Amino acid sequence: MEFGWDIAMNRCLGPAGPDTRPASRREFLRRAGMGFGSIALTALLADDGLLADESGQPLAPKKPHFEPRAKRVIFLFMSGGPSHLELFDPKPELQRLHGQRLPESFGPVKTRRGVDKNKLLATRRTFRKHGEAGIEMSDWLPHLATCADDLCVLRGCYGDSVTHPESVYLMNTGSILMGRPSLGAWVSYGLGTENQNMPAFVVLPDPGGWVKGGAPAWGNGFLPAAFQGTVVRGGPAPVLHVNNPVGVTADQQRRTLDLVRQLNDEHRRGREDDTELSARIAAYELAFRMQAHAPEVVDISGESAATRKLYGLDEKMTAEFGLRCLLARRMVERGVRFVQVYCGDTTGWDAHSDIEGNHGRLCAQSDRPIAGLLKDLKSRGLLDDTLVIWGGEFGRTPMSEGSSGRDHNPYGFTVWLAGGGIKGGQVIGSTDAVGLRAEEDKAHVHDIHATILHLLGFNHKRLTFRHNGRNERLTDNAGEVIDKALA
Amino acid sequence: MVARGSTYWFFGLLTLLPAVAGAAEYIPDEKKDHWAWQKPVRPPVPSVRSKEWVRNPIDAFILARLEAAGLRPAAPASRAQLVRRVTLDLIGLPPTPEEIEQAERDPSATWWEQVVDRLLASPHYGERWGRHWLDVARFAESNGYEFDEIRPDAWRYRDYVIRSFNDDKPYDRFVKEQLAGDELYPGDRDALIATAFNLLGPDMTDASSQAQRRQNTLNDMTDTAGLVFLGLTITCARCHDHKFEPIPQSDYYRLQAFFAAADFRHDVVIADAQEQARHERQQREYEALVKPIRDQIAALEEPHRRRLFEARLARLTPEAQAAHRTPAERRTESQRILVAETARLVAVSAKHVTDAMSAAERSRWQALHAELRKYDAYKPVPLAVTMAMQENGSVAPKTFILERGELNSPADEVEAGFPTILTPGLEPRPAAVTPQAQSTGRRSALAQWVASADNPLTARVLVNRLWQHHFGRGLVATANDFGTRGEPPSHPELLDWLAVEFVERGWSIKAMHRLMLTSATYQQSTLGPKADIDPENRLLGRMNRLRLEGEVIRDSLLAVSGRLNRQIGGPSVFPPIPREALQGSKGWTASTDPADHVRRSVYIFARRNLRFPLLEVFDLPDSNQSCARRERSTTAPQALALLNADEVTVAAQALAERLEREATSVEARIDRAFRLVLGRPPTRTELTTAGSFLQQSPLSELCRALFNVNEFVYVD
Repeated sequence: MEFGWDIAMNRCLGPAGPDTRPASRREFLRRAGMGFGSIALTALLADDGLLADESGQPLAPKKPHFEPRAKRVIFLFMSGGPSHLELFDPKPELQRLHGQRLPESFGPVKTRRGVDKNKLLATRRTFRKHGEAGIEMSDWLPHLATCADDLCVLRGCYGDSVTHPESVYLMNTGSILMGRPSLGAWVSYGLGTENQNMPAFVVLPDPGGWVKGGAPAWGNGFLPAAFQGTVVRGGPAPVLHVNNPVGVTADQQRRTLDLVRQLNDEHRRGREDDTELSARIAAYELAFRMQAHAPEVVDISGESAATRKLYGLDEKMTAEFGLRCLLARRMVERGVRFVQVYCGDTTGWDAHSDIEGNHGRLCAQSDRPIAGLLKDLKSRGLLDDTLVIWGGEFGRTPMSEGSSGRDHNPYGFTVWLAGGGIKGGQVIGSTDAVGLRAEEDKAHVHDIHATILHLLGFNHKRLTFRHNGRNERLTDNAGEVIDKALA
Repeated sequence: MVARGSTYWFFGLLTLLPAVAGAAEYIPDEKKDHWAWQKPVRPPVPSVRSKEWVRNPIDAFILARLEAAGLRPAAPASRAQLVRRVTLDLIGLPPTPEEIEQAERDPSATWWEQVVDRLLASPHYGERWGRHWLDVARFAESNGYEFDEIRPDAWRYRDYVIRSFNDDKPYDRFVKEQLAGDELYPGDRDALIATAFNLLGPDMTDASSQAQRRQNTLNDMTDTAGLVFLGLTITCARCHDHKFEPIPQSDYYRLQAFFAAADFRHDVVIADAQEQARHERQQREYEALVKPIRDQIAALEEPHRRRLFEARLARLTPEAQAAHRTPAERRTESQRILVAETARLVAVSAKHVTDAMSAAERSRWQALHAELRKYDAYKPVPLAVTMAMQENGSVAPKTFILERGELNSPADEVEAGFPTILTPGLEPRPAAVTPQAQSTGRRSALAQWVASADNPLTARVLVNRLWQHHFGRGLVATANDFGTRGEPPSHPELLDWLAVEFVERGWSIKAMHRLMLTSATYQQSTLGPKADIDPENRLLGRMNRLRLEGEVIRDSLLAVSGRLNRQIGGPSVFPPIPREALQGSKGWTASTDPADHVRRSVYIFARRNLRFPLLEVFDLPDSNQSCARRERSTTAPQALALLNADEVTVAAQALAERLEREATSVEARIDRAFRLVLGRPPTRTELTTAGSFLQQSPLSELCRALFNVNEFVYVD
């Protein structure tokens, strides 16, 4: 077995042979197999009783402003900025103008690497229409193509910055400045968690490296810390501090916790009215329960061979991302509100050179798992009220960088939505003739956020949090719901 | 330019009119008369029925409200409880059993005052209260964003804050140093370091537009100055007239104009003239020594460097190329910006150069560098530098109102001025500014105004912060927001009395600590019936139970296990972080000296994109904006951290070893453990419980359990 672990049994098979490169994708897989199989996901979990404070229970399930169309979200974040021109937005005019400069009529363009005067680069992909709706998709996405009628493809998206971290923050937090609450944190704040044994917001980063901009992309900003994304990491302890200390047996851990409990009960006498003390006692009990019982969440041994195949767990190329997509389904199935799955290491889709090689590889890794996720959600009836989002921080320029790459393009790019409350089988919006700028039915990132919150039952203008004297919200002072996208 | 019905246009018209009544029309009366805009006057100390309870005027204000509500204050806490409470409160470390016993035995009538004074004189006081200030100052030591570069000298600001608290620097001086130390106290090293305050926010160094980057920093320092010193939430007025506060957009930019002339520096030399002269001489000598080698290296590199540079340059726009080719001193302003923005794109690194060399050239190059390194011992030690604000002339660039806050939409020009609502006659007018030779004097004007006894906000905001940390909640619960939408004060007269007292006592923070801590209010027990009419205890009919912050938890673990390194100040340290927590984020190499692993938490390197996990889980703020009050969450991950983190298990082991050394019988060890960790002996029941626990479990497990009980983190 090439990977040194048995993905079918989700069990470590021991050392993977002479190749012991650390920190590689392969190493992560091996460790993840062991870790996910044997280690509680406990720190992920939070219980409403625990978080009680004077003002109530932050993670208790809450009703949104109106009847929601989606109850939970899976956000597949393609870090680095995937090219719409290679994937979802065919441009015959770009093919025709290959090798020429951007016509003057397009006006000046500011790009990150100053490629505005570079030659236009035709794509080498071929596009065909798929599904009853006839949505055009690239030959790099054969699996996703079979889900075409579920997708609402937004071709006219645009953002505010040509740099990675600013655009990552914009897409995740609604602001190019770092430090504001992320979309997932806002959703946890607004909805709490459905299952009190689960966190509201889980992040599954790419084991190859974090998105540019790092943890603030799933941070709580000025919201209480309980709402931040809980990271599942690689390595033998996917969640921090989830293992008993070295040398402490489960029995000893229980005995020590029992002593803590006894001493706490003694201490509480005369302090019965203090809810914080009881909340903290409950937190310890939950922590122990989680350590004992949570492995089930990440134990995929009960998944059928067909399911594993659907996600591509049987193939080297797709196994790693497939596993994280499958975990995303298992989490939403168990009531996690918001799961963010990152695709692409720190470089990710950032193809400044060799877009064919870079995107070809990432599509090969992600196409089958993503299609598998959509189909699996659908067959379980989960797609009806689970919103799936695909997108990165921006798209890429029609101008070439070097001979074979493309620079960042926040002026026009594609995001797609599927599932709960979304009218699938349609394309909304377009870019200009060469795919440089959004042109028709433009959707700013604020509009996408407003639409996501709308599907979850929120008026985005009313989901606010008072901070330093201001009623802050995800969409700042902007954002319009994209009505055409709604079923 | 005067479009959009801008208020500046409105005020501009006003200046043409003889009357100022118009300004009053703009601001509705109820907002104009808001309590916080009025200068505090000392209110009479109320009379109360239970006079014997009152130890100082604070108590009279508190008791008057309690009596009016038909409530009585709680009984006093025990001496042991008080010593533990005040020690953790003032220095952030637990008292030793001996300190508690001494206080319990002390026959003096002034035993409590002596404890308070001893703690205020401790150098650890500044570490504890400096940390509170670092929260509001959004202190961190890296830039954030993608690269999160470290700021190697930011720790000097942290040390400056700790020193200032320890020295009981008058608060007005502390304010003035941070806003304008460079202008007001030239030659004063601490005052220069203080100005780093303005630059502590996140910074995207590789922003595509350097002009936008500077604007972001200006916005950050304007917002922060408003929040921190004035409790004023001016941020909204950056893009439009404030919807809720009487702050027009023009006021925002008038305030920002005070900062407009400053250079944002990370490299201001703080060595004195003598040190600098010595350094210069040593540098010259070193340069002379290595010149022959340097020349050979340069000759080897030059052709490659030039070729690589030209190739990179050719990819830029013609304008950018021309800008780069223009000698630096002849570049226009727009050329300078263009060069700064594209510098990254044309930079040629040493690696690029050596990669381009032939094998022979490269080995020659390496040999020359080996030769060069032999002279390293002659290199002078680099001069100490600091982040700081500096100005280079007496004329400030113009400041414009930015429509919607957008840099490329400048509207009317504004002069530096104070918020209209705080200006006599409610008339916006330029501040009186006295330019200096090398400086506009603008920030001096701002600093003098903020730190003036006449400013209605400054003293109130600070005494409220002190009150908040001592009592668990501010008299104004929204400590960064004293505006019309902030929470009204629970005891407005007390707040004003304290503010006036503060100024009259020379802005002495330690004097205010003494006043608050020697009150009967502070010395109440936390126990007492919960009053139905005051469920949140806003009337302070008992003491609020305080919860230890992450820093105090970690420092206490180090202290009781006898491992705390009490060294004060210096560059930050890097205790180990679990490998899982490091994946994907940049840069954390544990300090090589293990003594650095057990320094106090305030000295742990503050990286924006990687907060120290044990502190983060206990609500360490993210340092991107001013944090007036930390969240106080109770979560399962906190339980897991205190149960399983290395910091805790190592402390439990070390404490067990200490107990074995210091006591012989099991009973004595249990007793000592309770006294060290919880500041009290065990009860008979606890002794029995712990004794039977130890029949099956090692002593270190008893220690680990004690670190996890509620009483360890909730202080009575």
